[in-house]
Amino acid sequence: MRDKRMTMFNMLRGAAAIALALGVGAIFIFLSSDEPLTALRYLLIGPIVSFRDSGVSFNAQYLFQIFAGMIPITFTGLAVCVMFSANQFNLAAEGCVLAGGFVGGILGVYLNINSGWHAVVCVLVATVVGGLIMLIPALLKVKLGSSEMVTSLMLNFIILYIAMHYLNFHFADRSKGSTMTYPFKPTAIIPSLVPGNSKMTVGIIVALLATVLIAFFMYRTRWGYSIRMIGINESFSLYSGMKVGSTIVLAQVIGGMLAGMGGSLEVLGRYQTYLWRDLPGYGWVGITIAILAKNNPAFVPLAAFFIAYLNKGCLLMSTYCDVPVEMIDIIQAAIFLFFAAEQFMSGFRQKLVVKTTREDLMKLETQRRLEGGSNNA
Amino acid sequence: MEQNELVVQMKGISKIYPNGVAANRDVNFSVKAGEIHALIGENGAGKSTLMKILFGLERPTGGEIIVNGEPVHFSSPTDAIEKGIGMVHQHFMLVPSLTVAENIVLGMAPRKSGLFIDYKQAVDLTKEYAEQFNLHVEPTARVADIAAGMKQKVEILKALVRGARVLILDEPTAILTTQETVGLFRELKELKAKGFTIIFISHKLNEIKELTDRITIMRGGKTVGVYETDSITEQEISGLMVGRDVILTVEKDQSEPKEVVLQVEDLNFVNEWDKRVLDGVTFSVRSGEIVGIAGVEGNGQRELVDVLFSLKLPEKGSATVGGKSLIGLPQAMIRELGVSYIPEDRMTFGIADIATIEENMISDRFNQKRFNRGPLFKMNELHKETDQLIVDYSVLCKSRSQEVGMLSGGNIQKVVVAREFSSDPILIIADQPTRGIDVGATEMIRKRLVELSRAGAAVLLVSADLNEVMELSDSLIVFYEGKIAGYFDDGQWDDIMMGEYMLGLKRQSDEEIARASYA
Amino acid sequence: MLSLLQSLFKPDFLFAVLRITAPILFATLAAVVAERAGVVNIGLEGMMMITALFGFLFSYWTQSWVLGVLGAIMVGVLLGLMMGFFALKLKTDIILAGIAINMLGAGGTIFMLNMFTGLRGNTGNLVSPNLLIPTIQIPLINKIPILGEILSGHAVLTYVAFLCVFLVWILIYKTPIGLNIRAVGENPDAASSVGVSVLKIKYIAIGISGGLAGLGGAFMSMYYSQGWNSGMVAGRGFIALAAQAMGRGEPVGAMLSSLLFGLAQALRTKVSGLQGVSSFLVSMIPYAATLLGLVAYSISLKRKARKHVIKVVKN
Repeated sequence: MRDKRMTMFNMLRGAAAIALALGVGAIFIFLSSDEPLTALRYLLIGPIVSFRDSGVSFNAQYLFQIFAGMIPITFTGLAVCVMFSANQFNLAAEGCVLAGGFVGGILGVYLNINSGWHAVVCVLVATVVGGLIMLIPALLKVKLGSSEMVTSLMLNFIILYIAMHYLNFHFADRSKGSTMTYPFKPTAIIPSLVPGNSKMTVGIIVALLATVLIAFFMYRTRWGYSIRMIGINESFSLYSGMKVGSTIVLAQVIGGMLAGMGGSLEVLGRYQTYLWRDLPGYGWVGITIAILAKNNPAFVPLAAFFIAYLNKGCLLMSTYCDVPVEMIDIIQAAIFLFFAAEQFMSGFRQKLVVKTTREDLMKLETQRRLEGGSNNA
Repeated sequence: MEQNELVVQMKGISKIYPNGVAANRDVNFSVKAGEIHALIGENGAGKSTLMKILFGLERPTGGEIIVNGEPVHFSSPTDAIEKGIGMVHQHFMLVPSLTVAENIVLGMAPRKSGLFIDYKQAVDLTKEYAEQFNLHVEPTARVADIAAGMKQKVEILKALVRGARVLILDEPTAILTTQETVGLFRELKELKAKGFTIIFISHKLNEIKELTDRITIMRGGKTVGVYETDSITEQEISGLMVGRDVILTVEKDQSEPKEVVLQVEDLNFVNEWDKRVLDGVTFSVRSGEIVGIAGVEGNGQRELVDVLFSLKLPEKGSATVGGKSLIGLPQAMIRELGVSYIPEDRMTFGIADIATIEENMISDRFNQKRFNRGPLFKMNELHKETDQLIVDYSVLCKSRSQEVGMLSGGNIQKVVVAREFSSDPILIIADQPTRGIDVGATEMIRKRLVELSRAGAAVLLVSADLNEVMELSDSLIVFYEGKIAGYFDDGQWDDIMMGEYMLGLKRQSDEEIARASYA
Repeated sequence: MLSLLQSLFKPDFLFAVLRITAPILFATLAAVVAERAGVVNIGLEGMMMITALFGFLFSYWTQSWVLGVLGAIMVGVLLGLMMGFFALKLKTDIILAGIAINMLGAGGTIFMLNMFTGLRGNTGNLVSPNLLIPTIQIPLINKIPILGEILSGHAVLTYVAFLCVFLVWILIYKTPIGLNIRAVGENPDAASSVGVSVLKIKYIAIGISGGLAGLGGAFMSMYYSQGWNSGMVAGRGFIALAAQAMGRGEPVGAMLSSLLFGLAQALRTKVSGLQGVSSFLVSMIPYAATLLGLVAYSISLKRKARKHVIKVVKN
């Protein structure tokens, strides 16, 4: 009884939080736009529907673009899920995406492998690099007790400037107006799955595979189990005999690997050259996604779709209306605040608990009376 | 104020916590002006919850509170303090880095020129009250540096300075030395003489008989009776506390101890305030016997267990299981040696509350070959193991995938015990294994403990429940101030004799104590 | 190299250190006040971005830099209270609430700038000298050679920043509010048991924290960068968290560690002017210095802690 009611309650609360966040977005749209209703239409249904004079029609290219948008944020979402599950507030997924993209991109330009393995090698090396980077905050946390939050934040900037340094002084194509590398070799480019310019590449398949893998890892293996238990109660895990330190390191290294992989798939799938000159922001979006998915990897693609959809909506809104694309940050912040709020609608929850407990107690009493009041364990 | 006037009345109080635990069910409680009123009951009987409600720390789910004849609704301690109610908590509510005076004026600091703390006035105020009530404290000492007895006085002063006329004391003697307790009682009687009303929560019957005028007894979240202290015997109180249906004898055969399993040798531990909490402790636990450790809480039992399970490092000394040292060993290795451990603080060490029953049951064995195939768990094996344990230990639950935190205290402890008892341990360290849980679970756990010992396990039982250690143990060690005060292996003990050793009134000779070691 | 070393001991370099330290100092003090009340304010970065924007906008709208600064403080306090509402009332994890503020700071500011002015990314041509925080010459001191060059001629808020070290110290150690803040941060149960409202104190602390971040934001847009642009805070809010930890939550410690980071950043400006030095690697200096500083701090803590307990795990 209790469990069912609570599941219903949790779903209701999640929906209410998202609705509220969108409501906040709507308020800003009404404040800033001369044509708020059109803007809202673009935001909410624009991403899959085209409006033409002839009427309304389904737009497959847009849908593909949303799927393409899911690729990097599914990876960072998974990365954050794993790290947050271990109760590690590591925020360096951002830096690892950039590092992965940079390493993958450079290898895409300079490595000579004349087959599809080229791309595979690029992505795998980027994955390893992401994992290695995360060793820094992870080991500092475990060995010295430094806050992984602060060290990972610093690390993001350090990674950015190191990548920028190498890009500018070693790998830049001087013939171009802005700073970028020479073009990737065709063998390194992640192939598209559909015709057109949507950038929906093989990356989306890898992302979904990674989701399945990580979901299994977290819920069907001893390591994932340890990570989750440590995240729930570190003392309990220590006392049960789990290797707390190495598991905390493992969680962050896996997070870094996922982020690195996502970064390289994005760079090699979306662009012809490496050209990121700032942190791409996918790491932060990953946190939003992990919150929406409640740290459960299985829900990450759904959450990533939702965010990619909103992203596309905001993009359309800024293209065809007068609402800046940064609307997405306001909506995301609101999702963050309401969705992660434990006490959001708590009064309602407490009433449910009290009601259920009263019923349980009454049931117990009745049962006891029926049994003649003899046993009461 | 007239002697018989009721200062506090609580009527039909119920409290259901967000996790669904019903801590108070329709409780009635009232206190007369100027009396010392005992509130007594086992751990988990609902005393603390009731008092937290009276002090505004918890809000009741139902019922009404009347103070000095007028109905009140406390939404915070501030409201309670305003109505003249003060509370001295079981765990000191003091800020260690602040001075005594700062702690006393916290929240009501005297000011100078409107903005700043008048520290001198705070010190003077502290001195003034300390003298008036004969409660001596050092106003300018940092609380981190003072002894437990003085901390308690600071707590009482805090309440008095705030104008409390009704003082709630939650197990005030638990951490005090004998002299400190004597001093406290003298001070409390003085306060009573000055017209203060005191609500005294305790487990200790002798203290209650000595100090109080009336008694309210609670059991299982309900009031079971109110008595004049003089009109009721300790045996009667104890009967009402635990309930007549419980017969606390456990049938057990004579033990036949075999080889030494746990050997503790000259163990010393110094805590972070440089107090020597374990002082040269030496004893053995042999296969097939239950060795009980009795003692007032805070006499080194906690630290002994922590050292044995490698949660703390001793200053010197050794502890070995089957000849292998436990000191500083990772917990996984300790478990591999065949040690299992029922922790006192089950919510912190025993379970992961929002994980499922299954995830909690397998936390010590999930690495074993039989549960893994390559990288993957054998889910069926895990389910089978869990279901078996749920049946074996009659855990009352909907399914193995229920959140363990949603279970009652007794069933949570059954989950812990099921895990710890089913790993074929050669040594079981049971720290307060039945604290705060229902009678059914208590009986079951005690029975299993005896069974396991008779089947050859060595059991070290630490319990603050004197009846429990006396009933279950084959031999008994009494701790007093970090030392062994007595060792008994003849089964001839009673609570009066134990009390004398536990309170430091008696101590065996070194030769007698040395018998605790069989190495 | 030699010329670099020489330039480091010149007054203009030390002047720059103080100028660069000021915003970090505001943010670090903001982190200190929050931390003492047991609140991790990871939202400082976003708070500075947002208050920087509003400080400038208020200044532009009212054509008064004073009102601009006051506006920034007000917005900072409001942001602090908002973060408090979500973290304390609705129980959003405080770190997530802070990250949300940072998101508002990153994208929301660009959105709001566009909404209010139609501009994108920076305040560009809105900037005029009368909107900026003026500098002042300190009489007498400005006559002293060298010292005068270092200490005199700073913006008003630079002096305010260092004054705030003293004010925060007074606040924490000499006022009833400070007593409550320390109690709430160290043992909230003790505080609430004597009727100190833990919630209220945390709100106050986080509000003050927001106000100090507001001063830092105003300093950034109304003096340091001479206008608002979208990348201007550049991790100062995060650096402040590290500086707070290294300063052990003490106002004076916070000042010393802020000065250290100010020095690192000033060094970067100096060095990046030199031939053959990568401006990017130099840009990295403050962050790398922060990381190393934090590591050194952790090691020193660990040495101290080793004496007694080996494993005390806290959730």
